[in-house]
This record gives sequence, structure tokens and C-alpha cells, in this order.
Amino acid sequence: MTTSTVDVKAPEQAPPPAPAPGRRRRFAVHFAHYKWLYLLLLPGVVYFAVFRYAPMYGVSIAFKDYVPFLGVNGSPWVGFQHFQDFFSNPDFGRLLGNTLILAFLNLGIAFPLTIVLALLLNEVRLSILKRTVQTLVYIPHFLSWTIVASLSFLLFALDFGPLFLFINSVLGTDIDFLSDPAWFRPLIVLQEIWKNTGWGTIIFLAALATVDQDQYEAAIIDGAGRFRRVWHITLPGIRSTIIVMLILAIGQMLNTGFEQIYLMTNALNRSVADVFDTYVYFVGITQGAYSYSTAVGLFKSLVGIVLIFGTNWLAKRFNQSGLF
Amino acid sequence: MTRRKLSLAAAVVTATALTLTACSGGEAPAADTSKISIMAPFLEAQPPSADGAVQQKLEELTGKDIGITWTPNASYEDKMNITLASSEIPQVMVVQSKSPGFVKNAEAGAFWDLTDKLDEYPNLKTTFPEVEQNASINGKVYGVFRARNPIRAAVMFRQDWLDKLGLKAPETTEDLYKVAKAFTEQDPDGNGQDDTWGITIPKWGALGSNSPYDIIEEWYGAGNRWTEKDGKLIPSFETEEFLEANRFVKKMVDERLINPDFATFDGTKWNEPFFNGKGGIIVDVDSRVSVLINLFKQANPNDFENKVGFVGNLKGPDGELNAHPTDGYSGFLAVPKTSVRTEAELKNVLEFLNTMNGKEVAALLNNGIEGVNFTVEDGKAATIKPETAEGKAVSTDIKSYAQLGTNVTGNNFYPVKQASDYEQQVFDKRVEVMAEDLKSAVYNPAAAFVSPTYVAKGAQLDNIVADARIKYLAGQIDEQGLKDAIKLWKASGGDKVQEEINKLWQDSK
Repeated sequence: MTTSTVDVKAPEQAPPPAPAPGRRRRFAVHFAHYKWLYLLLLPGVVYFAVFRYAPMYGVSIAFKDYVPFLGVNGSPWVGFQHFQDFFSNPDFGRLLGNTLILAFLNLGIAFPLTIVLALLLNEVRLSILKRTVQTLVYIPHFLSWTIVASLSFLLFALDFGPLFLFINSVLGTDIDFLSDPAWFRPLIVLQEIWKNTGWGTIIFLAALATVDQDQYEAAIIDGAGRFRRVWHITLPGIRSTIIVMLILAIGQMLNTGFEQIYLMTNALNRSVADVFDTYVYFVGITQGAYSYSTAVGLFKSLVGIVLIFGTNWLAKRFNQSGLF
Repeated sequence: MTRRKLSLAAAVVTATALTLTACSGGEAPAADTSKISIMAPFLEAQPPSADGAVQQKLEELTGKDIGITWTPNASYEDKMNITLASSEIPQVMVVQSKSPGFVKNAEAGAFWDLTDKLDEYPNLKTTFPEVEQNASINGKVYGVFRARNPIRAAVMFRQDWLDKLGLKAPETTEDLYKVAKAFTEQDPDGNGQDDTWGITIPKWGALGSNSPYDIIEEWYGAGNRWTEKDGKLIPSFETEEFLEANRFVKKMVDERLINPDFATFDGTKWNEPFFNGKGGIIVDVDSRVSVLINLFKQANPNDFENKVGFVGNLKGPDGELNAHPTDGYSGFLAVPKTSVRTEAELKNVLEFLNTMNGKEVAALLNNGIEGVNFTVEDGKAATIKPETAEGKAVSTDIKSYAQLGTNVTGNNFYPVKQASDYEQQVFDKRVEVMAEDLKSAVYNPAAAFVSPTYVAKGAQLDNIVADARIKYLAGQIDEQGLKDAIKLWKASGGDKVQEEINKLWQDSK
């Protein structure tokens, strides 16, 4: 009896007499069916609504002349004035250049190194050694940039830092690493490598664990050496992970790391050290030019979005699965 | 049923989220003349407690229920701007400088214009009208300024080194060079090694920040930020004296008479080379003399005298003394209009500030509570020894409460009696030297003027010259490079700043 009533009701719902209420009704059924899944989704939605989407309302001050006393709504609109000021500012080219150069250096050097380290760790046979090394390379990730910068200052300090003395005596030079503009970028990239390469291997090691072991056996029987196995089995095996991580890394690329750069900047290397993040802090927070710095930050986000979509498009073009 | 409940729950959550995100647009508290709210910075590790002895005494003396929001000094400017955008605005705000954020708010009408109002109150009618002008925005007084000694620049040196090498304390910049050279080359610590230098300068480059560079430029006659030339105001870095002063500093850098890491050396470690016998000279505010003496005293209470010597401002190469003064104030107490709405309410607040600057409260804020942490001896406040727990708490708290003092009619509190005769002598000499230098002070003629272009991008502009100055001293660019940077300053908006400043200057005459 019960089943038959359900059977009778169902076809009644299926053909929509009028599109709008029918669709709503169908959604209600769908919703009732998946209600627990929706409930699980709720915290995530609320999080994004409150902490990610709602603050975007503040972005409107990029188009206003914001004065805290007048509030966001009370401040007058100025249209694209702040963007015009920024693009016509002599700092603009320098900031864009510095940001992009640092971003690409980090991406081009630090990112592949993560994969290399993961591959190396994966090849270690002795489990205890592997685990010890893994733990050791994770540690720097948990040190704050303040500590990393302090360590660098100690190691490279003029006239008494051990690395300063060592490198300069080996090369017979007199390089002041901390203030020489030519050494700013290498130092930043080195710090980044030291701090985050180990941590970045986690996902790649997880991906490496999923590569089919039978293929290796087959390759060994066919006489493939270690490098050939890495090249023909391991790397293709984690290719999709690499692509996804690359797209994510590119999305984060322009976040050049405010703390790190701020701490390493001084009057002598500022010409290569100023990036969007430090500029926004300097102009926005210390000088109270909130609208202008919001405009700069917004521009940076736009560049970031273009980069993500661009990479995704490229990945799809080369027959790889993109992120979306 | 369940479905309905669920959609209800969703609605509630969304509504809550919306409430959370909406700016808290509450009502300002109703006027209650017995309550005063204050926002002030604190520079100690912790803010004073709200029920401490000082707070209680302060409420007793002023007859008000005082609520103070203590805010860490490092993030004060941000917090001030955020507070102004919120609904919880205090009735009295310590404003630390005429920062662009403050100027914009003030010009939008956020604060009461007190220009003609302060004279009614005997303790707020200042005896330093020129400092009040310096603290104003183009003549409009937006607060009761917090007075500071205008003359603070001094040259501190290792007296023991000077005596050992048989040198005299410097009087001119040329003497400074000679002493620095001797400290570098003649092994003043007598350890047989070439491990000392003359002057220690930390990472400190901003223009007009009373840095050693600013001070030496002023000694050379470059003026104080702005200087009058041919009936016009020009920035001091456009003078020939500015270049001469920097050539002089560069010569010392090149001869390694200055610490080679001057561009990166951490300012919080400034005393260390002096104390450890590496760099024998510091050019900074005279209060550092006491700090340095204390360092030696802590290390060896039996032998700390005659380690630290000092002189005031030095004569330039032309034999003239151009003493470097600050603007004579450190921010001001402003009254926001959002929290103090009517003239009657303003009167209440100003009367409170008047009481705050009276003799009794000034002594409380600066000396503490008589009989608890200090006693008066020959008109001086002497710390009670041994310190009781109660006295110590008061002594700690007043370091923060002193931030509320304005002292616009001079210091109404007791001068502090120094711990030993030697320290008292040094202190008295400091007061004497500074008073003497005050006669030759060269002030910033444009201190009161706020140019709109400077508010918009002054700090970026100044950075062009400030960075070039450091680069020139470090040898990264030559003098032409420095001159080019000054041209860039002018072309990027500096010309406009100069025009605006000159117009304000002409109008004020």
C-alpha cells in the first residue's frame, strides 16, 4: 500500500505544469533528500560569506576618498582616480617589476626544488633515515619570518657574520649581502627555499605513494635505471598533482610575502625590494592613504586572477586536466 | 516539518552573518558629565591596571569617572583611524602626530577646533604659543599639545677614551671628525687591536626625523626641514649646506669612522657598541646620556663615573652654532566631535583637561603619589628607597600616565632627584647645556603648515631623497646621483608641495 502511494505521487511531481513552482518543488525534494549534506556544507558557506565575501564590501573604498571619520558610506566617490594616480606614479613600473621578478624567481626555483626534494626523499630506501630527514626539513616551516630574518642578519652581518666571512674569504670579495641590491633577490629566494621547500614536499610525497608499484617492477625487468624510472614512471604518475599545485602556486605567486620582504628591506636595497605588499603597508597603514592602497591591492588581485585563469587555460590546452 | 525547521535555521544563520558583517552602527553614548573616556598610547610592556592606585587618585583629584583605553604605541596610528570609523569614540584622544590620517579626519570635521577656546582655561593657555602654532594645522589648533623640550640633540662619547687619548670634548663638527678619527685609529681601548670606530649610526633614514644625519645637516646650516632663502622657503636638502654636510658624513664613512653597517644596524641595539667599547660616539637626544650611564652603573656600581661624556650641539664649519630643535611637542590631546557633541559638553571636557594640567594632577601623572613612591626633598622628587611593592606599582604606572600630561604652561611637577650626586651633576649639566643651546635654535619655519600634496604623497616623496642620502653615504651613487634624486623629488610633486608651503607661509604673515 505504502509503496503504491509513493509511486502514484512521483509521476505527479515529474511533469511540471507551470515551470516556476515546479522547479521550486523539485528543488525542495532534492533539498530534503540531501539535507544532511547541505547541513555539512553550511559552516563552509557561512565562513566564506562572513570572512571572504562580506569584507569585499570594503573594496568599494578603492573608488572613494575614504576618511575614517566619514565612514565607508559617507566618504565621497572618486571613480578611478586612485588607479590613475597609481598607474601614472613613477613607482608603478618598479613595483610591478620587483613583484613579478620575485614571484617568478620563487616559482621557477623554489617550486621545482620542492618536487626534486620529494623525488629524492621517495628514493630513500631506509625508512628511518627518510623519516628523520622529512621531519628535519619540515622544521623551518614553523619558524616565523622574524626569526628567519634575524638568523640571516646574524649569518651575513657585515664584518663578523660567519657566512659573510666565509663566502668573502673564499671568493676574495667584499660583498655586503644585506645591503647590496644585487644580493637582495638571491637572499629572499634562498630564505624561501630554506623555509618552505621541506613543507611543500608533503603533497608530492602523498602523490608519489599512489604511483603503481607494478610499473616499477616491469621497468626493472626491462632494464630501466633509476633515472629512467623517475622520468618515465614517477613524474608522469604525479603529473596531475604537479599541474594542480602549479596553478595554486601561481594563484599565490603575487603574495610575495610581506613580512619576509619588509624585514629584509633597508634604504640601500629598497629599489629592488619594494613590492606591492610592502607598498600597500607603507602607503596605506603608515600614511593613512587607505583608498589608494586598497586600489593597489585590488590591482594586485586582478593580476592574480588573470594569472590563475591563464595557467588553467594553458594546462587545458596542453591536454592536461585543469583546476576548473 | 524538518524541512521547514531547516530552512528556518538557514535563515537565522544568514541573518546572523549579515548582522555580523554590517558595520556596528550603534548610538553614541549619552552625555554624562561625570564620565570621561580617553584613548592613549602606552610604551611599557603592559598597560596600567584600571583599578591601580594612580587611577584611583586621578579620579579622586579630577572628580570624574575616567575610562582610559590604553593602546600599544606601535599600532597606535592604525587603532586611532579604526576607532574614528567606529561608534565607540572616546571624548579625548591622544593624537601622536599630524599624520596624513589625522589631517584628513580633522579637515573632514572629526575634531573640535580649539583655536580660540583654550585661552579661557589658565592651565591650557600655553606659555609656548610658537609651539602651539607648530602643532596646529595651518593655524587651526585641534588639540592641547604635549610639550617636549625643544633642544634635545647632543653628542655623547666615551669620556674614558677621550681622557686616555688626551683629547678635548668636541665643540665643532671638525672636532667631531678629529675625535672620531682618533677613536678609530689610535686604539682608545688599549687592547692593541684595530677594532674600534668613531660614531655609531643605526638604520634610521627618514627625513626630518631628528636622525644623526638631520642633526649634522642642521649644524652645517642647512636648516630644519625648510629654510628661508631669497624670500622663499626651500626644503633644507636643496641648500648647498646639505650637500656639504653629507660630504662630511661620507668622508667619515669612507674612512670607516662610522660603523660600516649604518644602513642596516638595528636601532634597538644602539647602546651596545658604545657600552661594549666598539664605537665611542653617539649623536642623539640628550636623555640617552642617562640611559648610557645606567648601563655602566648596572655593570659596575663602583666604577661608572666618567665613562660617559657629552656636549650639546656643535658649531658648523663657519663657526656658527645652529642648534637643532624638535618642534617642541609630541602630539596633542584632541576632542572628537562625534563623542562630544555640544559646546556645553566641550566645556566639560576642557575643564577636565584644565584640571589635568594643574599642579596636583601633573605631579601625580609625572612623579606619582607622594609618600608612596616619592618624597619631596629640596623641591625635587626623590624615589623612596627601598621600593615597596606599592611604590613600585605606582612608579611603573606613571610611565604610562605621563602620556596624558600636556605641560603647556611649563612643567608643573617636581623635577626628579637623581640617584647619586654624580648623576645629579650630569643631569644639571644637561639642563644647563640645553638651555644654552636653545638660544641658537633654528626652528622649522614650516612646522605649522600642512600642504595637501604633502598629505597625499609626502612620505613617498621624502623617501626618494632619504634613500638617496643613504645610498650616497654608502657609495652606491655619487653626488650627482643625490642631486638627481632631489630633482626627482621636485618633479614627482615636490615642486607642488613647495608652492603650497610658500603660499601658506605668505598667508600666515
